[in-house]
Amino acid sequence: MEILSMENVGFTYPNSNDEVLKNINFTINKGDFIVLCGTSGSGKSTLLRLIKHDLAPHGDLQGDIYYKGMRLEDHSPIKRAKEIGMVFQDPENQIVMDTVMNELLFGLENMGYSTPEMNKKIAEMTQFFGLNGLLKKKTDELSGGEKQLVNLVSVLLLDPDIILLDEPTSQLDPIAAKEFIYTLERLNDEFGITVLIVEHRLEDLFAVAEYVMVMDEGRVSYIDMPEEVVKKLINHPTLSRFLPSTSRIFLNFSESNGTKQIPITVKEAQGWLENQVIHPSKNREKHRGENKKILELKEIDFQYVKHEPPVLHNLSLNICKGEWHAILGANGTGKSTLLKIIAGVLKPQHGSIKYDGKKMKKNYHKTVSYLPQNPALYFVQDTLMKEYKMIARHFQIENANEKISQLLNQFQIYDLKDRHPHDLSGGQLQKAALIGTLLTQPAILLIDEPTKGLDPESKSRLAEVLRMLIKDGLTIVMVTHDVEFAASYSSTSSLLFQGQITTTEDTRKFFKENRYYTTTVNRITRKSNAPSVITIEEANEKWHVQENY
Amino acid sequence: MARSRELLITLSTIFLIVLVSAPLLSARHYMLFSLLILLISFIPFVIRFAKQNLSSRELVLLAILGAIAAVSRVPFSSLPSVQPTTFVIIVTGIVLGPQSGFVVGVLAAIVSNLFLGQGPWTPWQMYSWGMIGLVAGLLNNRWLMKNMIGRCIYGFIVGFLFGWVMNLWFVIAVIQEFDWNAIVLYYSASFWFDLAHALSNVFFILLFSVPWIKILERFKQKYGIFAET
Amino acid sequence: MVRGIQSFHPFVLLVYYVLIIIGLMLYQHPLFLLGALFLIGTFNYILDKGRELKKWSFMIGMMITFIILLTPIFNRRGDQILFHFFEQPIMLEAVIQGIMIASTLAGILAIFVTFNIVLTPDKLLYLFSKVLPQWALLTMLSMRFVPLLIRKVKEMMSIQQVKGLSFNQGSVHKRAKNGMQIMQMLLTNALEDSIQAADSMSARGYGLQKRSNYNAFKMKSKDWLTLGSLMGSSIILLFGWAKGYGVLQLGPVLETIMLSGSEYIYFMTWLFLIGFPILTEGKEVIHWKYYQWKM
Repeated sequence: MEILSMENVGFTYPNSNDEVLKNINFTINKGDFIVLCGTSGSGKSTLLRLIKHDLAPHGDLQGDIYYKGMRLEDHSPIKRAKEIGMVFQDPENQIVMDTVMNELLFGLENMGYSTPEMNKKIAEMTQFFGLNGLLKKKTDELSGGEKQLVNLVSVLLLDPDIILLDEPTSQLDPIAAKEFIYTLERLNDEFGITVLIVEHRLEDLFAVAEYVMVMDEGRVSYIDMPEEVVKKLINHPTLSRFLPSTSRIFLNFSESNGTKQIPITVKEAQGWLENQVIHPSKNREKHRGENKKILELKEIDFQYVKHEPPVLHNLSLNICKGEWHAILGANGTGKSTLLKIIAGVLKPQHGSIKYDGKKMKKNYHKTVSYLPQNPALYFVQDTLMKEYKMIARHFQIENANEKISQLLNQFQIYDLKDRHPHDLSGGQLQKAALIGTLLTQPAILLIDEPTKGLDPESKSRLAEVLRMLIKDGLTIVMVTHDVEFAASYSSTSSLLFQGQITTTEDTRKFFKENRYYTTTVNRITRKSNAPSVITIEEANEKWHVQENY
Repeated sequence: MARSRELLITLSTIFLIVLVSAPLLSARHYMLFSLLILLISFIPFVIRFAKQNLSSRELVLLAILGAIAAVSRVPFSSLPSVQPTTFVIIVTGIVLGPQSGFVVGVLAAIVSNLFLGQGPWTPWQMYSWGMIGLVAGLLNNRWLMKNMIGRCIYGFIVGFLFGWVMNLWFVIAVIQEFDWNAIVLYYSASFWFDLAHALSNVFFILLFSVPWIKILERFKQKYGIFAET
Repeated sequence: MVRGIQSFHPFVLLVYYVLIIIGLMLYQHPLFLLGALFLIGTFNYILDKGRELKKWSFMIGMMITFIILLTPIFNRRGDQILFHFFEQPIMLEAVIQGIMIASTLAGILAIFVTFNIVLTPDKLLYLFSKVLPQWALLTMLSMRFVPLLIRKVKEMMSIQQVKGLSFNQGSVHKRAKNGMQIMQMLLTNALEDSIQAADSMSARGYGLQKRSNYNAFKMKSKDWLTLGSLMGSSIILLFGWAKGYGVLQLGPVLETIMLSGSEYIYFMTWLFLIGFPILTEGKEVIHWKYYQWKM
């Protein structure tokens, strides 16, 4: 049964001549699970918001959107609010009440339900999702995954027929993201709720989705089953990066002539690999930093509040010159705290930090720079140029103007130098902040979760920039839970667990020895006949595949 | 609207003069008298907002500004008695009008007391901050608020008035048999705090009122909220 | 499970506090006030062993000292001179009055300490939402943003500290300016994010119709009973006050502090009114002891 359809839909924002959406036609049936993907700026979010009629952007809309056989605008607003639910990207900003209970009540009160009705609905929902323990908690104390679950449940309480989700997992850590997607799968399986989800992170979604809809420059280029979409996109210059690595590794090593089943899940990919004969090719080792220690942390203890358990305890870590050091660990293990200690913002209660073999000095801020997770928080001034000049003045940098221009050109954002930081896109903003951190010519750059919310395309561009900096002699310490990113680009990896660094190893070795906390490619290859690898790039280097005919 | 605005300005000025000067004239029934004035000048605005239909964006904007005013202590933890709460309220009044200035002022008092604990001072704080925002909003098209010197004068005066009203709850408990020597003595005890408040208001207005007004104005235009004020 | 005083309906609790605060202001009699102070102190001790009260004790102590010392200096009514201070006569009446004013103030502040423990923000907001729903909703929204904004401010401060901006060193002017820069960043940032919050409210149907109001608390029979007895005893007390009981006459002739005749009845009623939370908490303790003993 058809639930939602678009006929010849086009959309233009006011004061603009570019059509954001062009001639869009599709039909969604009740109970479908549809993933909508595409590069940034392809019009995905606009499309989603047009379906949530009451949040539709202002502009010129052509064509018709039908919901349950009637035009969207002909349904009553209350019916639309109840039946078409929407969950947004940022788990934090869509919460409007101080406790979980009040947050869940908010929508129900809007709909005018009586107290007994509300009690019943909430009791039922909390049982189903196991939220009992959270009801009385402050929303601010929840983890990112819990917050997003509360957002989902507060939409579900209104009993929707279709849920629209706008990159709901992009701000979550991989484990929370997986759990969230399984929750969606369960809702779809057990209640037949139609799901339309926009997402960049597709590793897990391709295995769950029934259909994948691909958007490119304002048009829907494909709507098809996941395997078919994989075949069509594999040679696409940018969108091929969005595909799950299970399929990518397969397509890299076997001719896709349409007869073979393309693996989507890890299990399927393992099955394919069993039938391959793979010889190791000559081993090329990655460039690793010199073995000269630039930073030594010794027996660091840190706690925020006196009577609470310490965040970091007896932590020791060595950073070598010229390496790209990834520090991995789950949420709440103290990764960001560690970065702040290295940056000199927090003072450890115990332990020592040595820079270049000597104790930290006062001009430490010049040698260590810090790129925050949310680059918008980096800017105090209202244009990029003013910000750079302020930094230059503060650190008394010579030839500041030259350096600023040179960096702006190098990062290709010279044209944006007089813009307000808030008017830049996520990727531009990150580059802009990066320039600010590089002005002082630091020896060490600290980066906090640089890939949060970036699409695969922007991620690889960021990696290129950072690689270039490493080549110029910079040392990078990066905190992340993006396993794939760390595996692909960092040279050394450490695991932070319970306030201590438990392992520090060469990145490839580090991931090969892990079983769960590792990349998809490694999970496919680690117990196979083929030499185990952690990324497709490594497989390209090390494998020589002999096809079985 | 223009005429009722004239009326409101006159009325609130009269109330304020009476409230401030009353203890000097008649100490006997001051407590009852001041409570009465407080209620008469406060309740109508409370009810007016309670009955207004606001969009979700307007409501969230007011809530955020109230929260900003309430948490504005944090970056000044090393400077006791310097906090831009009053500044935030004045700027809100100027940009978003008397009603919103009043609401954000009252809200800042409620919210900070909900976190720090209520006391007998709560209603007085709600009243003073509410009125500071209201009057700033009423005068937003006048010379006083359009001009930097005018804004600084306003900030300086309300710094002291705030202290005056805040002392009332204490004075009320004590005043019954006091002559005004005692009152002056008590007020002089809080003089340095009030001066610090007044001076920091002037400081913040001087350096930051222009960019803050610009930021709020831009936001208001961009999303078309509080269009009629 | 919440027991004792905290298990009563918020409305009953609010009535209790209003009555006590009015009572503390009306009963200007040393014995009434000292009795009240003793019971309020006990109430504080039962709630949290007086921990919160201790935090306030410095402020309360300062104010009491201030009033007790100053009242006799400025107040020259009465005729019983105790001694001279800088050639000013210090009267017994004025000293007694100072003590009474100080006790009223201490009583009000100390009862507010229990108010903040017993009437938690959610209970206050519940009461608020019954009378002024829009104000209550606005306050709840604001309460949600406070911890979020505090986290953001701290994050911004540490980012800017690496960039060399200082918040605890340098001149007052410099620190105030840096602090305000952060507030300005917070404003811009919070305004941008507020649109998302507003969208999430609209997405859940805010503003389409009149909102209903969730009743988190129910008036139970014990609440009605308590409300009744609170009102009853306060009517008795008001009657007594109107007839002049419980107010110490300072002039023209200083009355004796000792109670007499029917004044005892009002005194006991007053103590019962203030002590009602202690009675309920005490009942709980006995209940539990009995329960454990039977096990």
